[in-house]
Amino acid sequence: MVAAAQHPNIELMTYSEVTDVKGFIGNFKVTVKQKPKYVDWELCTGCGTCMEKCPTKKIPDEFDFGMGQRTAIHLVYPQAVPGKPYIDAAHCTKLTSGKCGICEKVCPTDSIRFNDIPVFKELEVGAIVMATGYDQFDWKSAYGEYGYGKYPDVISGLEFERLLSAGGPTGGQIKRPSDGREPKNVAFIKCVGSRDDTKGKSYCSRACCMYTAKHAYQVKTKIEDSEAYVFYMDVRTAGKSYEEFYQRALNAGAKYIRGRVSKIYPRGDKLILKSEETLLGMPIEVEADLVVLASAMVPAAGAVELAKMVGFSVDKDGWFQEAHPKLQPVETFAAGVYLAGTCQGPKDIPDTVAQASGAAVKVLGLLSKTELATEPMVSEVDVTKCSGCGLCVPICPYSAISLQEYRERGGHGHGPFTRQVAEINSSLCQGCGACLPACRTLALNLKGFTNDQLAAEVDALCL
Amino acid sequence: MKKRVGVFVCECGTNIAATVDTVQVAEFAKTLPGVVYSTNYKYMCSDPGQDLIRKAIEEQKLEQVVVASCSPRMHEHTFRKAAAAGGLNPYMMEMVNIREQDSWVHHDKDQATTKAKSLVRMAVAKALRNKPLQVSTVPITKKALVIGGGIAGMQAALDIAEGGHQVIIVEREASIGGKMTQLDKTFPTMDCAA
Repeated sequence: MVAAAQHPNIELMTYSEVTDVKGFIGNFKVTVKQKPKYVDWELCTGCGTCMEKCPTKKIPDEFDFGMGQRTAIHLVYPQAVPGKPYIDAAHCTKLTSGKCGICEKVCPTDSIRFNDIPVFKELEVGAIVMATGYDQFDWKSAYGEYGYGKYPDVISGLEFERLLSAGGPTGGQIKRPSDGREPKNVAFIKCVGSRDDTKGKSYCSRACCMYTAKHAYQVKTKIEDSEAYVFYMDVRTAGKSYEEFYQRALNAGAKYIRGRVSKIYPRGDKLILKSEETLLGMPIEVEADLVVLASAMVPAAGAVELAKMVGFSVDKDGWFQEAHPKLQPVETFAAGVYLAGTCQGPKDIPDTVAQASGAAVKVLGLLSKTELATEPMVSEVDVTKCSGCGLCVPICPYSAISLQEYRERGGHGHGPFTRQVAEINSSLCQGCGACLPACRTLALNLKGFTNDQLAAEVDALCL
Repeated sequence: MKKRVGVFVCECGTNIAATVDTVQVAEFAKTLPGVVYSTNYKYMCSDPGQDLIRKAIEEQKLEQVVVASCSPRMHEHTFRKAAAAGGLNPYMMEMVNIREQDSWVHHDKDQATTKAKSLVRMAVAKALRNKPLQVSTVPITKKALVIGGGIAGMQAALDIAEGGHQVIIVEREASIGGKMTQLDKTFPTMDCAA
C-alpha cells in the first residue's frame, strides 16, 4: 500500500469516482469526480489534532461494520493511505447545522475547507485497468432462517476479520458483539449465498472454504477450551498449500459437520443451530456463542453501471466479462480495457495478485508501442452524394463525424461555392456502422462492409 | 469482377465436422461464381492449415480468400496474416463463421450443412467485392488509469509503474487498500494483510 503511494510513477486520486469515459484504445478521455473532503490535503500534515478534538465521536465506524466508533472528521482507518483525514458531511455538525467548526480552529495548518465542492478532472490515458473488487452478499435480506440480521451474534466472515484484527474494535480479541464476552463455541456456516440458486447465487465464491478454515484455526488457537464447528457442503481446497492448511485446521481440532443449517434461534444467551449431519444421516443441534457466516462475494456496488460507461459487458451475475474465459482472461471486449481481481469473478488473494500482474503486462505491452495500427474498416463519405443533412452526426457513439465546409468548383453558369458535408475522423471511427442506416442518400459506406457488399450477400442468399 | 476466389473449409477437429459435412461444403463451393479452388482441412488455423492457404494463393493465383471456420473474433487475425503471407492484401480475406453460428448451435447434420453452404455462398458474393484496405496508425497516450485501489488495483499499478509508465489510481474511498485492509491474517501463510 505504502509502496503504491510512494512510487514516483503513481498518482493517487482517492475519494474520487469515474463519471465519464470517452475515446478508444490508446486515447481514452476520462472524467473523474473528486468528492469534497473538506480538508486541503496539500496543507494537511495528518497530525490528527482535528480527530482528537472533534466532538461528534459516536458515529458507528463503517470500516468495523458498526462494531467500533469514529469521529466526523476521520481516517478510513488509522493506517489509511494517504494518512490524511476527511469530513463525513452527513455527520459533521458544522456542515449539517452550521455550528461547531472546532476542527477549523485547532488545525495548525489551516487546512479545513467547509466550503469544499466536487471537482471534475479530465484525464487522458492510453489504457484502463478495472479493479473495482467485490461486495459482500446481503445475507440479511435473504436468509430468514439465520435471523435476517436480528441476532447480533450472527455475523459475516468479514466482520469476524475485524474482531480478529489487532487494529479492530476489540484489539484482536474475539468478543461477542452482543455482550463483549469471549465466545467458547463458535459455529461457521459456509456457502451463505454461494451455490444457492434459490436464495443467493449459483456460483462458488472460491475464497470462503479457505478463510473459514483459517477462522476455525484462529478460534482453536486464540481461545482456550474452545470449539469451532464448521457446517459445510463441500470442502474445496484447490490451491497451492491449501489442502495442507485445511488439515492444519482439522489437526487444531476444528470440527467439520457436513450439512446445511436449517435454522438458528436463541436459547438464553446462546444460539442453537439445527442441522443435519449428512454423513451420519441424522439431525443434530449445536449450541454456539457466536455464528460466523461465509457470505458470498457479489460485484461491487455500481460496477454494472461503470462497465456500461467504459463500454464492455458483464455476465449474468454482474461480474465483468472477460474477452475469452481461457485465452483472454484479463481482456475485455473493449480494446485497451483490462481486468484485475474480483471485479471479473470471485477469487482469493493469490489469484487476484496474479491477474493484476497479467493486466499490467497487457498495459505495458500496449504502452511500449509508439503508435497503434487502426482497423481500416471505418466509415467513409462520398462527398458527391452527401447532402450535409447531419443526421449521422448525433448517431455516432464515438463523436467521429462532424460537418465541414466543402468547396465545389461550380459550373453550368455557377461560380465556385461551398456547402456542408459530413467528415469522418478515421482515428475516432470504430467501424460500428451505426451511421449507415441514418444516411438517406447512401453517401456513407463502411469500408469492408459496403452497402454494395451487403446487398450482394443478401442476393446470394435469396436469389 | 471476374476474380479468382479460393474457399477453405475448416473441420475444427470434430467441432465443425461432426455437425457439418465439410467435404460437401467444399465441393459445393467449387460451383460458385468466381471460385477456382476449394478444399477442406482438419485445422485450418494450424501451421499446416495456414501453409495450405498460402500455397494455394501462390499456385492458383488467388485474388480473394474465403475461410469457413470459427468466429472472426477467434481467428480473423490468423487468416489475415496467412493471406498476407501469400502476397494478398490481408483485407482480401473473408471469414465465414460455420462453428459458433452453425455447427455448435444445430444438431441436424443435413440442415447444418445446407446452412454452411448458404453462408459460404454469401461470403463468396461479398469477397468478390472486397477491395484492398490500408492500415493507418494513431498515437498512444503513454499513461494508464487504474479504477479501484484495492489489492488488484495496487498490484497492477505498481507493475505498470515499475515498467516505467505513469499510472493514476482512482479510488472511491478516502484511502487505498480496499477490502484487504479489513482482513487480519491471510491463508495459507498466515501473514498480515495490511
